Parts: sequence; structure tokens; C-alpha cells
Amino acid sequence: MKTLRGLFCLLVVLILAGCSANPIYSTTGVVLANYSEDEATPYVMQMSDPQMACALGEGIDPLLYSFSRVTDAPDTTGSLLMLLAGNCAEYQAWEAELAYLRADYAGNVPAAKDAREKMKRLNALTAQRRYESFQRAMAAYEFDPGAEKLECPFLFNDQEELTFLLGLLTGMQAIVNDANSGAMAGVPRNIAPQAERAVQCLDNEKWGGLPNAIRALVWLLLPDTQPALAAEPWRVLGDSSRLGVKTGMRASMAVEAVAAETYGRPDVLADVIARFADSRKGFEVWEEFRLVDDIASQVVRFSSDKHWTAEYGYRTPNQHFGRMSPERNTENVETMSLDGLL
Amino acid sequence: MIRHSLIALSLAAVAPLAAAKTVTMCVFDVIGANGDMYNMIKDYALEMKAHGVDFELQPYTDEGVAVGDFNSGQCDAVAATDIRTRPFNRFTGTISAVGALPTYGDLKTTLATLAQPKAAPLMEVNGYEVLGIVPAGAGYLFVNDRSIDTAGELAGKRMATLDYQKDAIHMVNHVKATVVPSDITNFAGKFNNGSVDTAYAPAFAYEALELYKGIGNKGGIVDYPLAQLTIQIIARDGVLDDGTAQKSREVAWGMYGQAMNLIERQEAAIPEDKWIRIPQEDIQGYQEMFRKNRLQLRDGTDGAGEVYHPKMLGLLSKIRCASNPGASECTAANRE
Repeated sequence: MKTLRGLFCLLVVLILAGCSANPIYSTTGVVLANYSEDEATPYVMQMSDPQMACALGEGIDPLLYSFSRVTDAPDTTGSLLMLLAGNCAEYQAWEAELAYLRADYAGNVPAAKDAREKMKRLNALTAQRRYESFQRAMAAYEFDPGAEKLECPFLFNDQEELTFLLGLLTGMQAIVNDANSGAMAGVPRNIAPQAERAVQCLDNEKWGGLPNAIRALVWLLLPDTQPALAAEPWRVLGDSSRLGVKTGMRASMAVEAVAAETYGRPDVLADVIARFADSRKGFEVWEEFRLVDDIASQVVRFSSDKHWTAEYGYRTPNQHFGRMSPERNTENVETMSLDGLL
Repeated sequence: MIRHSLIALSLAAVAPLAAAKTVTMCVFDVIGANGDMYNMIKDYALEMKAHGVDFELQPYTDEGVAVGDFNSGQCDAVAATDIRTRPFNRFTGTISAVGALPTYGDLKTTLATLAQPKAAPLMEVNGYEVLGIVPAGAGYLFVNDRSIDTAGELAGKRMATLDYQKDAIHMVNHVKATVVPSDITNFAGKFNNGSVDTAYAPAFAYEALELYKGIGNKGGIVDYPLAQLTIQIIARDGVLDDGTAQKSREVAWGMYGQAMNLIERQEAAIPEDKWIRIPQEDIQGYQEMFRKNRLQLRDGTDGAGEVYHPKMLGLLSKIRCASNPGASECTAANRE
């Protein structure tokens, strides 16, 4: 009897080895993927600490995505984790860029060149991660962004809609990072027209104008993609930003700031930064997706920091956020006569 | 010579910076400040800071507007494609003459030659000075049908042509194709929706402008450079002193490797089966046809304007014959 049981055990082990997949592993993979999607993602989306969220992306992604070896690739959560990991690389790239601008301001050419090279390498890393995130988001919803006829994916809830939308935005960001790296990452540039078409699968009002902001950015880039009756892209960007504030997710404002930098519109940049600073009064964040708003805030703040560092050699002082120069509003303040005291 | 200049440059980079001269520059890049070319000009600007020049860059996504703003004095210098900057210096504007530089090796020799201090007098004409030339990639013919692989096949075909590019218009008329006036923003749409049969563009456009849509299953890209597009930096004379202007040209020449790396990546991104490789005998036919056109565009004959500069055509011919001495043009009676 003992021998029979021993033989049976051996058989089970052999079968398992033959399949080369440990059932515990694949079960764990399924459980982890489901847990991530149902519990961890909503939790992370409510976080207000983009730095911690990005560290989570860098730390957890290799573990979670490694389960694609034993079960289906967890692409939905995988795209978000890689998005967060991309943000981590970008935060470092930002610091390198500010160091470059500071050194350039000070006239220290070797330091500026060193920082710029560092910035390029980090932008390449950011671009790679973001391109991966874009690809996973497309795979998650079996969406072919290059298909001739637009076939919108089935998105069952808000979280899926947002994951898809952020995937497209991340793809666009990957192009910008790749260009800023000196094209080291080789991100295909056709993501831009593809994203322009794909965001039409999402409700613009519901998502705080972000779908239309993405479209308008592409229209500026490739004027040919703009439909004949569409409004002027800068107007669309402005309208999208207002919708974003109303909805409690200011990602459209970040897109507007990036557009203003890209197209050399300092007037629009100053305006959007001022509007962003103003929007903080009485702003009600979309609680469920607070993290998106916080990440967008960082993008706008970085735009301001770049301007300040290039012009004055240091990043935006906190009390000056919303303004583009260190001038103080203290010129016309009424003062009392000191004659009686002297 | 170049090596000496580079050593001088690295020494200057270490030396403490004297008060920098501020020069504003309008920079064209289809993707604006986040584009590849704009980023390269940023690298150039940083190198130039070591030579006491502080460039303030302003991005433009429309090169017509960039050149217009330069003309109206809104910037001291402009960086745009040589098709647009040709009026400022016909000599350097002739680098993109049709079929004049069939290989990147020949282009490299050309740009190295022009970066020498000896070439400086040719860089200053009519109150403008060329501060640098950087490759932007060869222009190729995109077709919606692979059978359009010889000049004869182009007859009667509709071709998207930049309406301000006189040499291209002449060339299209020469092959008896139909000019469909276009600009950088709309030629891709016309090719992709089938309202033209052919278009010409650098490899960059294949992916970014989705030209693979216009190519479809039947079309392709003819693997022979129609012209070598370059980005040229032009300034009003006197913006930089002669010594600094020469340094600037050497710095721009120093960007050659970086620019070519970008171009080679873009060309490699085109799938192998999309390239139409043409046989050697057809290449010879192409070369002779291009040469005839260049002579017409030099002399203003056969309805062509006097677009190309004779001296540059002569230099390019010498470079071609040095790399390919067996070519029939090298013994022709009417050599460029």
C-alpha cells in the first residue's frame, strides 16, 4: 500500500514537472493578479503620495509580472505598475534636467553637459518603461491601436476605462521622453495618431476632458489628424482643463502645460500654471483616483520649475507657484507715516 | 584640422566663461520643443556656450513661420531645412540638389569639407552667415504601387510636391508626373487617403506620419536617395564674429554622428519588405536623369529657374567621382 502511495506521489510530481508549472505558482499568480486588480489598484489609486506609488511600481512589477511565466500575463495591473515605475525614472530625469538648467544658468558648461547626458539616459529608461506600459494596456483590452477601422475595446468599469486611457497617455509621454533622450529608446512615433483615434472610445466629460486634451495635443503635432469641424486645439485644451478642475482630476492641465512648452507658447504656459495654482482653492478631488490628480500636479509644478530654473537659476519658491517671476505684489501696499515715532 | 578644433573646443569648455553673448534662435522641428531636431540644437547651444555664445531657443512647428520671424527680426538666427534656408545662401542650399549625394559617405565628406576654415568665405553671402549644417536624412520616394520604380513609370502619376520647392516642381514636371501642391502638414494625408500616388519624405515620416497606410500592401519606398536634406543654422551677418562663426560650424559638424545615429534608427524602423531595391542599370539611368536636371536648374534652361549654385554642384560632383570614379558622369563633357 505504501509503495502504491509512493508511486502515486511520484506520478503526480512527474506530471507536474512535465507541465513545468507548479500548480501552487499558477494559482498564486491568478490570486495575486485578481487581488491586485480588485483591491490593490483601487487602494493605490486613492493614494496621495506619487513617490511611494512609483516605488511600489518599481518594486512589485517584476514580482507580479513574473507570473506571466506560469499563467496569463497580468496586463491590466502590469500596465499600471509599469506606468508607476516609469514615473520613478522620470522623477530622476527631472532632477537631472533641473541640474542641467541650473548649471547652464551659472555658465558651468561641463556640469551642464554632464547633467544633460544623465537626463538623456534617464529619459531613455522612462521611455522604455512607458512604452512597455502602453503595450500592456493595449494587450490587456485586446485593442489593436494600428487597426484601420477603430474597434473600441470592452471596458466594464471605471477602473478599466481609466487604465486604458492612462495607457494611451503613457504612450504619448513615451514619445516625448524618447525625443528628450536623443531617441535612445526607439519608441515608435505612430503612437501619437493611434492615441488620437483610440481616446475617442472614452467619454470626454466623464474623464475630465483628458480624451480631448490628448486629441488636441496630437492635432498640434500632426495638423492633418484634426477633423475639419473641430475647434482650434488651444481652445480645446483650455476647455479640457476647465472640465478637469470640475471633475476633480486635473490631468488635462498637465497636458496643456506640456503642449505649451512643446509649441513655444510661454503665454499659455504662464496662464495654465496660474490657473492650476488658483484651482487649489475650493478644489474637490475625485477621491477614487486622487493619485492621477497628484501626478498631474507634479507635472505642472515641474513645468514651472523648469521655467524658474532657466530664468533665475532656482526652482519655483513655494509662495510663487502660479507666477513666472520673483516680483512681489508689495508695490502698492498702503503704509503709515512714521513721522510721529521718529 | 577638425581634430585641432575639437581639442581647442574641449580646452575652451574647461576655461571659465567670459560674459556670454545672447543670440535668439528660431528653431524648426515638426514636434516642437520635444522633437529630435530641437533636442539636437539644444546640444549644439550647450557646446556653443563654451565659446561665449548664449543661444535662446524658440521652437516652431511651422518652418515657414520660423523663417518669416527671422526675416522680420524677431530672432537673430534660424534653424530650418535647407529647402527653406536656400534663399539666404544658394551655395549651401544646393547640398540638397536632386540626386547629388547618393550616399551618406558622400554627405559626410561634403559636410566635413564645408566645416573647414577655408570654406568660411562661402558661408557669408548677402548679409547672412551659415553657422552650421546638420544632416536630417535622405528624402525617398514613397509609392502606392511597387511597379512605380522607374522614372518612366512616374508619368501621369499624381505627386505631392512642396509648393515652395522649385527644383522638386521642375523634377516632377520633367518626369511628366502631375504636381499636387502640398506642404509639410498635408502631404502625408494626401498620400494616405490616396489622393496622390507618390510623395517624397525622409524615413522619419514613415512611422510618425503613418505613411505605411498610403503604401498599403502594394506600395513601397524606393531605396535611392532623391536628395540629402539638411538642417542649416543661418544668422544675420555680424551676430557672431568670424572666429566664433567658424567655431560654430565646427561644433555643428561635431553633431554629425549624433544626427546620423538618429537617421539610421529611423531608416532601420522601416520593415525590410517595404523597401524597393532597384537594379544597378536603373540606378545609372536615375543618376543621368538627375544630372540633366541639376544642369537645367543650374543654368535656368528648359523652363527651370536658376536654383542651384554652380560651385556647389562642382564640389558635389568631385566628391561623387572620388568615391565612384567609374561613373559615366566623371568623364562627361558637361561635368558639373
